[in-house]
Amino acid sequence: MTVDEAPPGTPVLEMAGISKTFPGVKALDDAGLTVRPGEVHGLVGENGAGKSTIIKVLAGIYAPDSGTMRVDGEELAHVTPAAVRSRGIRFVHQELQLVPTFSVTESVFMGAELVGPLGVRRREMRTRAERILEEVLGTAIDGRRLIRDLGPAERKLVQIARALVQEGPRLVVFDEPTAPLAAAEGERVLSAIRRLRDQGIASLYVSHYLGEITEICDRATVFRNGTDVSVVDPIVESSGRELIRRMIGRDVDQLFPERKNRADRRDEGDGENGQDRDARGDGIALSARGLGDGATFADVSIDVARGEIVGLTGLLGSGTAEVVDTVVGLRRHRTGSIRIAGRDSGIASPADALEAGLVLIPRDRRHDGLVLEQSVETNLNLSTLGRASRLGLLSSKLLASRSDGLIQKLDIRPADRTATTRLLSGGNQQKVVLGRALAADAGILVLDDPTVGVDIGAKQEIYRLVAGLADEGAAVLIASNDPLEVLGLCDRIVVMVRGRVVLDVPASDLTQEELISHMTGSAAGDPTADARTAAPASAPASADTAIADRADGSAS
Amino acid sequence: MTTTDTRPGLVGALRSSGSWIARYAFLAAFAALFVFFSVQATSFLSGSNLLNALQGSMILLLIALALTLVISSGGIDLSAGTALDFGAWFAIAAMATYGLPWPLAVLCALAGGALVGSVNAFLIVTLGVTPFLATLGTFFIGRSLQQIGTGGGANINYRDAPEGFRALTSGSTLFIPNEVLLVGIVLVVFYLYLQRSKHGVRIEAMGLQDSAARTAGLRTRRYRAGIYIAAGVTCAVAGILLSSGLRIYTPMAGFSYLLDGIAAVFIGASMHPRARPNVLGTLAGVLFLSMLNNGLDLLGLDFNAKAALRGLVLLVALTLAFLIAKQARRTTAVRAAAIG
Repeated sequence: MTVDEAPPGTPVLEMAGISKTFPGVKALDDAGLTVRPGEVHGLVGENGAGKSTIIKVLAGIYAPDSGTMRVDGEELAHVTPAAVRSRGIRFVHQELQLVPTFSVTESVFMGAELVGPLGVRRREMRTRAERILEEVLGTAIDGRRLIRDLGPAERKLVQIARALVQEGPRLVVFDEPTAPLAAAEGERVLSAIRRLRDQGIASLYVSHYLGEITEICDRATVFRNGTDVSVVDPIVESSGRELIRRMIGRDVDQLFPERKNRADRRDEGDGENGQDRDARGDGIALSARGLGDGATFADVSIDVARGEIVGLTGLLGSGTAEVVDTVVGLRRHRTGSIRIAGRDSGIASPADALEAGLVLIPRDRRHDGLVLEQSVETNLNLSTLGRASRLGLLSSKLLASRSDGLIQKLDIRPADRTATTRLLSGGNQQKVVLGRALAADAGILVLDDPTVGVDIGAKQEIYRLVAGLADEGAAVLIASNDPLEVLGLCDRIVVMVRGRVVLDVPASDLTQEELISHMTGSAAGDPTADARTAAPASAPASADTAIADRADGSAS
Repeated sequence: MTTTDTRPGLVGALRSSGSWIARYAFLAAFAALFVFFSVQATSFLSGSNLLNALQGSMILLLIALALTLVISSGGIDLSAGTALDFGAWFAIAAMATYGLPWPLAVLCALAGGALVGSVNAFLIVTLGVTPFLATLGTFFIGRSLQQIGTGGGANINYRDAPEGFRALTSGSTLFIPNEVLLVGIVLVVFYLYLQRSKHGVRIEAMGLQDSAARTAGLRTRRYRAGIYIAAGVTCAVAGILLSSGLRIYTPMAGFSYLLDGIAAVFIGASMHPRARPNVLGTLAGVLFLSMLNNGLDLLGLDFNAKAALRGLVLLVALTLAFLIAKQARRTTAVRAAAIG
């Protein structure tokens, strides 16, 4: 990806010597950032490295203490949101700031409606919205459709269209645009960004997915400790490792922890299928048999033994998320059974699951995992408040000691149990969710995409924790659509395609390429191949590469 | 990750300072008004007036407590007045029409409140109707039932109510008026439940983020159903006190307490560090509103002007409190940004 289409000359954006101090925190310290016209420029760094702050300075949300900012060589004296916008700098924020009941057209033009003498010009707005989506972003979406009816990738594209609708976009800033998307979906957003580059619009691409950075970016600036430590130029496919080294200032030799008894498991599990294991039944903590909900998945059988980590993987829409929800009682199953330690679970809600010793770490932690406005202490204890009570009243001492223990064990930062959970970074929020599960002493952990939007350092810690729990005897089921994550962490891998299990093997039997080909339904010689020859329309041929690249970044 | 390394002590102080100012701002308004009434109306400070005002605020306090519970859980109960009405109605009707002894009449009244609450619980938890619409529907149905039951809204008089029933509001135990004692007990129960036990934290979690509370393994449906039924019963207690004091059942009398009750809850929330409804804040809100009523009455203002003045004082006090709190919250926002 070293195509140099950017004409030499003045950078479209040049920030230099930017410093910004908040009470007690030096967020930016003499930081700089330069983006050339028409290039895709990556911005990487761990959580807290200053990426968000410099983006907010660029957006005119924060006034820097010092430093200069030039757009097309011209210095901006007053950086306000309006001034930045009028210079052609646009933002695509991480959160989908769209109103679910608005139409695509209304969303694209929100705040910039076209008004004629007879009121809002709906027809013209719709035509223009659809044209931007189709010609600039390469996707056809009917302008009358409602946001709530769109898939996550389409919503993101609408958000991008919104950034482009006003005249003269020069630079579009993408903040984690693919974070809520699965690999194949993310590819649509990436190809939209390539189209922008082809049309001479520069992009600043902020992402934790280094695989995407190496795939799409021409150059990348690495932030660490509030300043730009280096610029990687040019980015090549193998730049991932170098980026990581510069981000954290050292080599990450091992992202995934060594599993003590993994080798034994391999021998044990080798050549066995689910039925044999069930017949033997030893140590099976969680067992699903012939599970189906009559719509999104059918005939799903999964066993998780004590001390074992099982990965449930597949593309978005393959049914893994629904299976996980069913196991923890968030959805009902129509057929099949779920057994916990050999007994019918009868789980109809997460509360039942908790009582049966099973906890969920949900995929959308900000929505389902945490009560963001409550303190870290409350969230850590939320599932186990009874144990922090004396004579029916909560004991602040017990609450404090329980949460301080977890904060220390999980290295949650800041180590302040009274902090409002919303203020924590993504990785630390996820640790709070994990901490709550740990507090419950559950024998079975179900994790649904546990490392989405989490930086590498925190990822490594989460993997270490999960592996540690399994080594202590917990049964762990992880749903993830990151092939390297399941390969690196799990003992067994269960692959789902279009609502059915197509593969259930020890992780060591698979290579990354094999796993991806199974996930995308392109594996040859598979007995279930006929069911998947009509490949799902949502998984285009490019899915393989997309996943591979994405996985690349999260591991290395 | 180094930038997140802040000093909890300093940050904690910064964060809570806003709410402290808001709290003091409102208490200052409270005190200023108290002094103003003491100077302007000579009888305001007399022991009997203050006691009367306190006793007169007990019904509002019960309604406000019920609403604190419901609003904490993220809901609203527009039928609080209806539950009060049913309590008063069932109590008076049980004695006057059916000749039941007064303790049984009290049970009937509580059942009446539980009935209203159960209808809400059924609509909200089982059918999934939003609390606003569900309780509004219950309010309309309850109003209509009262009109039908009383032949178009006529009062039911019961002047010669049994002594025991009248003693609920007229007697006193250990020099404390029975009414105050009774509501005091309810207040303590609410305080322990909502502010000091695990249930209060869970209900707050439900109110802030229901899906997260559910995923954390809380039985949110069960809690929610219980909350609406408990609120109905609490309002029925207020109905019992009202009918004990007046010995008349007036249909739809409860509605006048609803808005004051909601106001008291939000006044209380404005004094909380995290702007959450809370029992002690609600108590302060109720006392503030009662003092305002009492003082304006003593000033001898025109009835119509009084309502406007009351609204004005309330708006000014709350706006001040919110503005000051907002100013202080910016400090918090800055910290949030520093971490992100």
